[in-house]
Amino acid sequence: MVSRRWRHFDYVLLVVTLLLIALGVVMIYSATVNTPELEDLTRRQLIYAVIGLGLMGLTAVIDYRLLSSLGLVLYCVILGMLGVVFIAGQVLMGAQRWIDLGLSIQPSELAKLLTIIVLAKFLSDHEEDIGRWRYVLMALAILIPPVVLIYLQPHLSSAIVLTAVGAVMIFVGGIRWLHVTMIGLAGAAAVPVLWFSLKEYMQERVLIFINPQSDPAASYNIEQALTSIGSGGWLGKGFLHGSQSQLGFLRVRHADFIFSVIAEEFGLVGSLLLLFLLFIMLWRLLRIAEMARDDFGRLIVVGMTTIIFVQSVINIGMNLHLLPVTGIPLPFVSHGGSSLVTLLLGLGLAQSVAMRHRKIEF
Amino acid sequence: MVSSRRPRRSMSRVLLLRIAVVLAFVTLAGQLWRLQIVQGDTFRWRANNNRFRVLPELAARGVIYDRQGSIVARNRPRYQVVVVPEDLPEEEAEQARVLRRLIRLLETPLPTSETASLEQTLPVTETTSASIAPALPSLEELEARISEAAQESIFRPVLVSDNIPRDAALLIQEESGNLPGIQVQVQPRREYPGGALTAAIVGYTGPIPRESVDVYVEQGYVQTDEIGLAGLEATFEQTLCGEAGYRAVVVDVYGREVRGIGQPLSPVPGHNLVLTIDLELQRVAEEALRYGLQAAYRRAGVAIAMDPRNGAVLAMVTLPSYDNNLFAQGISAKAYAELAEDLDHPLVNHAISGIYPPGSAFKIIPAAAGLEEEVITPRTLLGDSERLDGANDGVIWLPNKYFPWDRRQDQPFYCWVHELGYGHGRINVVMALAESCDIFFYQLAGGYARFEGLGLEALDQYAQLFGLGQLTGIDLPAENPGLVPDAKWKRQVYGQSWVTGDTYNIAIGQGYVLATPLQMLNATVAVANGGYLYRPRLVYRTTDANGKVLQDFVPELIRELPIAREHLDVVRQGMYEAVNWEHGTATDAALPNVAVAGKTGTAEFFIDRNQDGWPDRDAEGNLPTHAWFTAFAPYEDPEIALVILIEGGGEGSQAAVPVAVEILQAYFAPEESLEFMGTEGQPIEPTKPMDGVDHGQ
Repeated sequence: MVSRRWRHFDYVLLVVTLLLIALGVVMIYSATVNTPELEDLTRRQLIYAVIGLGLMGLTAVIDYRLLSSLGLVLYCVILGMLGVVFIAGQVLMGAQRWIDLGLSIQPSELAKLLTIIVLAKFLSDHEEDIGRWRYVLMALAILIPPVVLIYLQPHLSSAIVLTAVGAVMIFVGGIRWLHVTMIGLAGAAAVPVLWFSLKEYMQERVLIFINPQSDPAASYNIEQALTSIGSGGWLGKGFLHGSQSQLGFLRVRHADFIFSVIAEEFGLVGSLLLLFLLFIMLWRLLRIAEMARDDFGRLIVVGMTTIIFVQSVINIGMNLHLLPVTGIPLPFVSHGGSSLVTLLLGLGLAQSVAMRHRKIEF
Repeated sequence: MVSSRRPRRSMSRVLLLRIAVVLAFVTLAGQLWRLQIVQGDTFRWRANNNRFRVLPELAARGVIYDRQGSIVARNRPRYQVVVVPEDLPEEEAEQARVLRRLIRLLETPLPTSETASLEQTLPVTETTSASIAPALPSLEELEARISEAAQESIFRPVLVSDNIPRDAALLIQEESGNLPGIQVQVQPRREYPGGALTAAIVGYTGPIPRESVDVYVEQGYVQTDEIGLAGLEATFEQTLCGEAGYRAVVVDVYGREVRGIGQPLSPVPGHNLVLTIDLELQRVAEEALRYGLQAAYRRAGVAIAMDPRNGAVLAMVTLPSYDNNLFAQGISAKAYAELAEDLDHPLVNHAISGIYPPGSAFKIIPAAAGLEEEVITPRTLLGDSERLDGANDGVIWLPNKYFPWDRRQDQPFYCWVHELGYGHGRINVVMALAESCDIFFYQLAGGYARFEGLGLEALDQYAQLFGLGQLTGIDLPAENPGLVPDAKWKRQVYGQSWVTGDTYNIAIGQGYVLATPLQMLNATVAVANGGYLYRPRLVYRTTDANGKVLQDFVPELIRELPIAREHLDVVRQGMYEAVNWEHGTATDAALPNVAVAGKTGTAEFFIDRNQDGWPDRDAEGNLPTHAWFTAFAPYEDPEIALVILIEGGGEGSQAAVPVAVEILQAYFAPEESLEFMGTEGQPIEPTKPMDGVDHGQ
């Protein structure tokens, strides 16, 4: 029985995952090799990767359906964690995002994953009723509290990602187009309200995106990222030979701007390869979603896919100056323990869904 | 267990997701293509711009030597601390830490042994080595200065402190890893061991004036370069400056040099100048002049010595002078204002930029002109006599132009000797030069009674032939051409027509004629050497850094005067008699071991220092006079020619002659020159100028 299940384990997805993590570790090394105070990051990323992969294997083995009975408990855990951050989290970079448990961890990452599970549970329980307005509102009512708590940290970009993930899940869960339109209109009406509630530095980032010349000092990061990417050309300047990254012109190069390092050192070919790997990962995940034996599993996988998709697009779009500068890391590649471990946990769930997919195949 | 309709709907929506993924990735790939391939060149250029810096390597400025090889101008290292705003840490607290640390390092008192030993090597003037204590800015001042500079360009270095001690510079360099944005630059600093002694000749260097930065940058200078601003430093800028080298380097985001690339282009040092000036003679001339000024209770004067065989200037002293080291180190506004507002203009080289009525020193010109134009012969007698106007009393009466019949309107013209109660009588040109008879030259230039004089036109023509009214072309900036007036000039400036009296005045170097001391020396030299007017020169040769001679001295003739040698010999003889005949005006200039010839001058001038709207006069109502003396020696084969000017110094024979004597004594007896101050050191009484229009003695 167990061995038969492993036959359905998605090895392509696993290989792609490993390749992305490996690329990330290598690029973090390149980004930090000349910066003594960041030298430790490569080793730490490796440790996170090992922990994450272990957890992924564990999650894959466990039947995801066991989680369906934990819905309410998980929801309480989410709100509890975010509440603790909100109250007692340490102040870092003007925002409360970390909890110090020996290691600093970012609960908002885990909260995203758990919210997906809770929402998937609700949507799959009420798949017959989701066409009705009341249930749509109930789904939104589940989604909004964690979004608001994350937004208040304040962590705008994570809140946006979670909103997008919830929206896509409700959409796939079967919401009617009429309701989609209505919510869309309500959201548009809320934009001005949201704008004035944004912290000043967030407003600034959006404004700089719209008009980069407005503040030469603040648009420095984008400009250097563009210079790094553009100067990469076809094949790049070679590993450890990117002048922008190695000489420090490119900032936050181990995290938010790691894509620029790849594009500079490996050129168009290297960055397209990265896009290709991400694309394969998403494609495989969506395949799992289609094969899932039930809506609960399908929606979990759709949620995970959306997280990876939205974060990748926002991060790379920011590097390419298509989207505003936000603190969203590139999934699996950017340095960041909480993000990597959570993503691998999510992939473990997806693998768990894949291993227990419907018997009837093509 | 699941209805077939529901899964199909969610499946179709997953399909929509797939489409969204494809679209998003195609967009990203498209943008990548645009940035990396289409605009790749732009961004590669930008990336290179980020990391490559071309650093200029300053060329050593040429050294200036006197003709014996003593150093007159050289280079010394000078350490500067600059801040590059772009490379400072972005965080304010961190930036403040860096700046505070820098100020601490600059404040730390250092053992003075280094600077002391350095100063011992700088002799000559006391002011030379006065090291200027670098003023330290406070943290607030520094931050304000940086943010102000950053508005113009965040890459341009901001000067924090100049002339810092070498030890402090080394300390800062040691900590450079900890002080991003802080750089120590080593700039050469110009040093003038001669200081005030040679300031008027050598000039000084300084930062490029703000208003002409663009012009110099176009010529390949860097904004922070120092250029020659005065004296030879300015005229020979192109020779001295050399060619800057370049070094391309890769820098990191903090502007720190990571490594050099390619072959650096070494700077080519500037060429050296060897001057015609003899520093020993210059010192003698300066001391003699200073002493002469002291005796006349005056501050301003000029002494120039020239080799009459080629126009090489052997000494050029203008007093008061200034210490050009102050400028090389960056002069304070207060010190500069003091120099600039001094009424005796120490910043002006009076030898070439000061214009004065030449007085009787001018008489060599009408004498030569009269002989050459055959208005007179060496035997022609002119002057006052009883036959002329009833008395040989040193006065002649010039009839009024409009009422020539009305003797009451005649204008008197005096000879200086009139003061003594008699006239020179009728004398020839040699005696007239020797005794400096004014009436002889009035008549020679303007005519009198039936004697037809030279006339203004011929007089002007010869004045110009002798180099007056035009630049001598000496290799110094800011030369003044002086003035040789003509009838047209007087009409334009005064709205009056030219009268014979004006010609009379010019004949004795008064009236409107103005000349620089150098012009008078040049004219004297042309008489001494038999008619060769040379361009005065200060640079003997130029050599490259290895001492190889690039350009050797070749005398440059302005013109050979169209005056017969025999006529000039008569003028020479007149100058000889002035010194050696018992009735001559410059008998004090006679030396036992060498035959000297010379011409004195005592030139009235107008000045209104008390600003009452009238020319200043002394207690007896006399105008002040400049004391002149021009001379050459030995008489037969002249080796040296001199001009001495004591501004407001009274009589040439009393104030100027002794200065020349001391210089000539030193020149012809170098072994005694060192004690001459001790042996000849009797103060000379200041003299009162005499009555009358002219003091042609």
